[in-house]
Amino acid sequence: MQLFLQQVVLGLLIGGVYVAVAIGFSLVWGILNIVNLAHGALVIVGAYLTWLLFARARLDPFLALPIVAVALFAFGYALQRALINRVIRAPLFFTLLLTFGVNLVIVNALLVIFKSDFRSVTPGYSGSGFGIAGVQVPYIRLAALGVAVVVAVAVGWLLNRTRTGAAIQAVGADRDAARLVGIDLRHVYALTFAVAAACAGVAGGLISTIQAITPTAGEPYTLQAFVVVVLGGLGRVGATVVGGLVFGMVETLGQTMVPGLGAGWANAIAFAILVLVLVVRPQGLMGRIA
Amino acid sequence: MTTSLGPPSSEEATGLEAPPSLRVLDRPRLRRLLVLVFMLALIVVLLAPLTATDQADSLGVPQLVDRSQIRILTTIAMFVVMASAWNLVGGLTGYSSFGNVAFFGLGAYTCAVAVDAHRLHLPMAAAIALAPVIPAAFATLVGLPLLRLRGHYFAIATLGTAVAVGEVVKNIDYLGGATGLFPPILHRADLLFLYMMVGAALLAVLVSRLILRSRFGYGLIAIRENEEAAGVIGVNTTAYKVGAFAVAAALTGLAGGVFAVWNSFINQELGFSLDFNIQMILMAVLGGAGTLFGPVLGAIVLELLIQNLAGRSDVAVYAQIGLGLLLAVTVIFVPRGIIAFFGGGSRLSLTHLRRSLRETGV
Repeated sequence: MQLFLQQVVLGLLIGGVYVAVAIGFSLVWGILNIVNLAHGALVIVGAYLTWLLFARARLDPFLALPIVAVALFAFGYALQRALINRVIRAPLFFTLLLTFGVNLVIVNALLVIFKSDFRSVTPGYSGSGFGIAGVQVPYIRLAALGVAVVVAVAVGWLLNRTRTGAAIQAVGADRDAARLVGIDLRHVYALTFAVAAACAGVAGGLISTIQAITPTAGEPYTLQAFVVVVLGGLGRVGATVVGGLVFGMVETLGQTMVPGLGAGWANAIAFAILVLVLVVRPQGLMGRIA
Repeated sequence: MTTSLGPPSSEEATGLEAPPSLRVLDRPRLRRLLVLVFMLALIVVLLAPLTATDQADSLGVPQLVDRSQIRILTTIAMFVVMASAWNLVGGLTGYSSFGNVAFFGLGAYTCAVAVDAHRLHLPMAAAIALAPVIPAAFATLVGLPLLRLRGHYFAIATLGTAVAVGEVVKNIDYLGGATGLFPPILHRADLLFLYMMVGAALLAVLVSRLILRSRFGYGLIAIRENEEAAGVIGVNTTAYKVGAFAVAAALTGLAGGVFAVWNSFINQELGFSLDFNIQMILMAVLGGAGTLFGPVLGAIVLELLIQNLAGRSDVAVYAQIGLGLLLAVTVIFVPRGIIAFFGGGSRLSLTHLRRSLRETGV
C-alpha cells in the first residue's frame, strides 16, 4: 500500500512536468492546427539555457525560468513569423515535415554547440525532500509541479481574461471571421507560438533540474505531449492539466506495479494509452467533440 | 436543368476532377520521357554491377562500380519501395501515415526469425516470401481502428503504433531482445541482394501503377478529395483504406525482409528507425505525393544527397542540419514535389514561388 501511495505521488509529480510540456503543444495544436514536432527541441533549448545560466552565472534554476521564458518567447515569435506562417494553410503533412525539419536543425545545432555530453543542473537542495506518512516527496519535483500549475493558471488567464487571449481564441475558432474583424493573423499566430515556446522553455528548465539532458533528449517529450493532449482533450488548459497528471500517474504505476513491465516499457504504455483513447474516446477525458 | 438527367460524363461518374498531381503525368511527352529515363537508369543499375564480379574481372571488363556503390544502389532501391508504398496511403488517400516503419521492422523481424537456425530455420526464399505477410496482417488489424482517425490523430496514432511495436519487440526475448537478431552472413552476395531489392522496387512501382489506374486507385483518390462524397457514390471507404494500408505494409515488409538478410543484423533501432520513417515520407513528398514516379525520383535524389553528405561522420551533424533546411525549403517552395515543379504544373520562377507561398501562407 505504501509503495502504491509512493508511486501515486511520484506519478503526480512527474505529471506536473508533463503538464508544463504539453500546455504549449496543446495551444499550438488547438489554435494553429499544427502538431509541432519541434516542441521537444524547444523544451531542450530551455533546458540548456537553464543549464547555461546555472553553470556560467551560478543562477538558481528556478530564478532562471523567467529569463528562459522570455528568450524562448522571442525565438518562438521569430520562428513562426518567418517560417511556419508560410505553410499554415498547406496540407497537414507539410506542417509536420516543416516542424520536423526545424527539430532536426535545432537538435543538431545544439549538438554542435554543446556536444552530446550529459549535463545536469544540481542546486544545493537537489536530492533532498521530506516525508509524510512514509511517502517521500522530493523538494525539486514538488516545486516543478508548483511551477507547472503557475504556468497553467497564467496561460488560462491569458486566454480567457485578456483581449490578446480573446484574439487568439477567435483565430482558433474561425480564421477568416477573425481576419474580418480586424485581427492581424500573422501577429496572433506568431504570438500564440511564442507563448507556447515560452511554456516549452519553462518545462525544459524544470526538466534540467530533474534529469540529465542531452541535445537529443527532446523527442520523447514531443510524443508525451501529444499523448497528454489527446488524453485530456484538445482545446482547454484544464483538460491538459488533467491529461498530464493522469498520464504521469498511469505511466509510473504501469511501470512499477504491473508485473512483467519495467522502465523499458514506458513508450509502449504511453502509446497503448494513446491508441486506446483515440479509438474509444477521441475527444479525450475532458474534451468536447471538435 | 436537363443535364443531370442525361448519362453522366466520365467526370461526373467519378465525381472528381483529376488532382493536379495526376494531371501532370497525363502529359504524354513528359511521361514518355520519364519512363525512358527510368528504363535507361534501370538498365544501367542492373548491368553496371556485373562488372564488379570475378568473371568480369577475368574477362578484362573494367570495373564500373565498387562495393560501396552497390550498397548505395541497394539502399536507394529499398527507399524506392518504402516511398512508393507510403505513397499508396499518404499520397493517394491523403492519410499521412507516420508509422510505416513498423511494417519495415515487422518484415525484417519476420524474415530474421524465419531464417534463424535456432528459430524457424526456413530457407531464405521462404523467409522473404513470408516477410510481407505478417506486416500486411498487422496493418489490417490495426488499420481497422486507426483508419477511423483523421488528420493529425491518424498521423500520430500511427507514429505511436510504430514506436510501441518497436518497444514490444525489444522486450521479447524470442526476438533477440535488445541485442537483436543476426541472420547468417552470405559472402559475396552483394549483387544478389541488389537484384532482390531492385526487384522489390520494380514490384512496388508496378503495384502502384496498377492501383493508380484501377477502380481501386480512383476510389482511394476519391477518399482523399472528399471521404463522405466517396462513400455516397459507392466507395466502400473502410475496405479501400484498409486495403491500401495492407498493400503498403506488404511492400514495406518485403523491403524490411530483404534488408534483414542483406544487413545480417536487425535490432529495434534499425528495424523501427524513426529516421527511415521520416525519410520515406520526405522522399514521396519531395518527388511528388500521389504520382507514380514522384516517390521513385524523391528516393533517388534524397538518398544520393544523404549518402554524399552523411557518408563522412565528421560532417554528419551538419548533414542533418542540411536535411532539416532541405525539408523546410521543400515544404515551402516545392509543395507539390519535383515532378510537378519541373513538369509544367508550375514553373521555376519567382512568380511561381510567390504564388505557392500565397496559397499556403497567411
